[in-house]
Amino acid sequence: MFTRTDDKITSTQASIFLTDAVLGAGILTLPRGVTEIVKTPDVWLSILFGGVVIILVVFIMTKLSQQFVGKTVFQYAKRIVGRIPGGILTSLLVIYFIVICGFEVRVLAEVTMYFLLEGTPIWGILMPFIWVSSYLILGGINSIARVFQIIFPISIFILIIAYILSTRIFDINNLRPVLSNGIMPVFSGLKSTILVYTGCEVVMVLVAHMQHPKQAVRAMITGISIPLTLYFITVVMVIGGMSVDAVQRSTWPTIDLLRSFEIAGLFFERFEFPFLVIWMMQLFCNFTSFFYSSSLGISQIFGLPFRSTVFGLMPVLFLAASIPQRINDVFSLGDYIGYASLGMFVLVPVLLSIVLLIRKKGLKQHV
Amino acid sequence: MWSKAVNYVPEWKTWVEAGLTLLAPLVMRRLSTTLRTWVGKRSPQEPQASTAPPSDPLTGDFQAEKARLKQQLGRNSDVHFREFELAGSQTPAMLVFVEGMQNEDLICNQVLKMLMQEPLCTEGELDQLSGQHLGSYLQDRLLPLPGIPEVTELLELKRSILSGYTALLIEGLPRAFLVGTPSPRTRAITEPTSEALLRGSRVGFTEMISENTAMLRQQGRTDDMVIESFEVGSRIQRTLAIAYMSEIVNPDLLKEVKDRIAAINMDFLAESGYIEQLIEDNPLSPFQQVQNTERPDRTISALLEGRVAILLEGSPFALLVPVTFTMLIQSPEDYFERWLPGSLLRMLRFLAAFLSLMTPSLYISFISFHPGLLPTELAITIAETRQGVPFPSLIEILILEISIEILREAGIRLPKPIGPAMGIVGGLIIGEAAVQAGIVSPMLVIIVAVTAISSFAIPMYSAGITLRMLRFIAMLFASVLGMLGTILFFLLLCSHMTKLKSFGVPYVTPVSPFRFNDWKDLFIRAPLPLMRHRPNMMKTEDKKRRS
Repeated sequence: MFTRTDDKITSTQASIFLTDAVLGAGILTLPRGVTEIVKTPDVWLSILFGGVVIILVVFIMTKLSQQFVGKTVFQYAKRIVGRIPGGILTSLLVIYFIVICGFEVRVLAEVTMYFLLEGTPIWGILMPFIWVSSYLILGGINSIARVFQIIFPISIFILIIAYILSTRIFDINNLRPVLSNGIMPVFSGLKSTILVYTGCEVVMVLVAHMQHPKQAVRAMITGISIPLTLYFITVVMVIGGMSVDAVQRSTWPTIDLLRSFEIAGLFFERFEFPFLVIWMMQLFCNFTSFFYSSSLGISQIFGLPFRSTVFGLMPVLFLAASIPQRINDVFSLGDYIGYASLGMFVLVPVLLSIVLLIRKKGLKQHV
Repeated sequence: MWSKAVNYVPEWKTWVEAGLTLLAPLVMRRLSTTLRTWVGKRSPQEPQASTAPPSDPLTGDFQAEKARLKQQLGRNSDVHFREFELAGSQTPAMLVFVEGMQNEDLICNQVLKMLMQEPLCTEGELDQLSGQHLGSYLQDRLLPLPGIPEVTELLELKRSILSGYTALLIEGLPRAFLVGTPSPRTRAITEPTSEALLRGSRVGFTEMISENTAMLRQQGRTDDMVIESFEVGSRIQRTLAIAYMSEIVNPDLLKEVKDRIAAINMDFLAESGYIEQLIEDNPLSPFQQVQNTERPDRTISALLEGRVAILLEGSPFALLVPVTFTMLIQSPEDYFERWLPGSLLRMLRFLAAFLSLMTPSLYISFISFHPGLLPTELAITIAETRQGVPFPSLIEILILEISIEILREAGIRLPKPIGPAMGIVGGLIIGEAAVQAGIVSPMLVIIVAVTAISSFAIPMYSAGITLRMLRFIAMLFASVLGMLGTILFFLLLCSHMTKLKSFGVPYVTPVSPFRFNDWKDLFIRAPLPLMRHRPNMMKTEDKKRRS
């Protein structure tokens, strides 16, 4: 046939998919979250160290997935540890994805209600968002990857402009002194920097859909390096522009940074508007990738048709987003997600890899 | 612990909302599947009961044939029976033709004169000539015509007469000669009205399919271009031709086109628009999935890109498949002008497409929802102009948008001499008066005017209509959720367009799936020496434009 019917994506699309899955709410909350713990301007070091750790994690996940060509984690976990334990492990992963989905869309609703649509009921924001996303998901991973491919360059373009403009109030002294309290605060910040990379678990779903699984390692490392770089620049710019103290007091430091200077002679005086636009689109991508992963997971674990799981998940996601009552609940949910991501990492890729290694090398089994 | 968890159990209202979250898409889905099965019922033509009509040969008995023909065709007042005798003998003969469909001069001079006035041989010879011999004698020596087809079946004879042939029947011959070919009245070749260019050929397709295919052939000499014909329509048949470059086109694409054409099941196809709607991938999409053009030069360039052209008898619009969204925004002039102006104009058109789609919704979201995001002075200026306007911005913009749509629709139908005058009256005076009356703000008149003009900057008329339609949906989204609504509309549009395919080619192709080589001909039009390859997305057989 002239048309491609297989649901495969190219390596570039896979990289962008991963970038979009990771680059989400974090870009607004990360600077405050980390600064609150580190309390020195060395936050950027924490981001770099966290990034190195995450690249390692992604590497392990990719290598594990490459052992099973064309299979997602939901399928190969059963083959490694058996039907029931594999099912339980991956069900945990699905629940984790669902919670992230709820968290992302809730953050979106909070930011929108705070900056753009005061007084709009929260369901009015959550519902259309979930609907549009599910419309896209029903088109399969190919459509999702293509939409991401359209949105990604727009986001990057606006982000870079935003950062270039914010160099006007950038003051290098805000980032000094380096390592004033020693290296320890940097490591304490590591815990919360890893949180912003939550979601890199989609790698274990993504590799299965790649057209050339051999290029997976390179594609995935590229995919995680882009958000790493962007987060790094964000933190440097925000702290450099606002100082550590101001960042700790602000709810959404990145937006406050963009609000704190004016550009004369352009249509927009402040750059916060285009930034909010692309951030919303980015959150849409983020939400979509987890929505997709969780519905794919349910359909593969329990052998249900994909369409039905997408429909079935819609109210679940709505509930997941509605459970936190106040914005502080949302933030603490974010923290819990971060801890859960550590747990998930130990439970899924590490455990599975160890079992696979033992069975292959130790017991010489054919898996 | 437990009581803390219970605290977080949502109220019943949230549960109802969650149910709604599920219910609405389910209803939508149900609706769309129903519509799809209802609209997109592409029932393949039932295998034609290939029982050939019973053979009913001509007998050669002149009087009997005449009676039979008269009985079957005599009801038509425009069918004429001209009886005469062959010169030099009393052999009766008859011409049957439909008035107005043949060349009268030719029949008089080349046929009647030969047969009635100048016996080429003596009576004796003519008497010997009977049966087979008379026929070959007529063909070989008497009638100076380029071709004289013979018909032996009554049914075929009837059809030929009705389609414009002049039939000659002679006593004793069990067949009829078609001595005059149909010469339908045609119009002159004129400049294509819907796709006029400043620079470029002035030739547009006409309603005659033979002229159209000839125009394609006249674009240049090649032995590569293939034109195949099909008959479509079950009650009234028309000729449909597909044209392609045999060494370029992807064979799978060609097969798909032929399959879809074979599946057309309709009694009559009035225009190529019928074909377009019957072969497209998704009838529920607002976007066209087949490009139409009046220009032979555009058609031939499309063929060289590996696309397929479909021409229908009686329609001056050729269809080009597959098509992507960006192709609808390109104009042949981009290539005829030098590359810098070509590229700039093309980018301008992309901007115009964006403006014609999004401006009203951006206006609504800024005015009604987020005036704080505008620069303060601009916000104050707009607020001042809107003072005294009694409507919310959605109603305000709908009033003006709808009246301008009415004006545009009326403008097509207005007689030529008063058209421009009415345009001025409608556009300028109504706009001015509406502002003076305080129904709309002057700012809005600017917005609507920019939108309307932008939508005319799109070279494909039908693509312009799509954007006009979608603009109203964007306005609804914006009026409900402001900026978030506009963004959601954009995302929905992106999702729809990435799902959409035209004959297997994704609709937003060079952008996504990303094909770097095709970007040379997307937003910019690269200098011709750089365009060494045919578009990647067509998966052509021959990739290179230059050897």
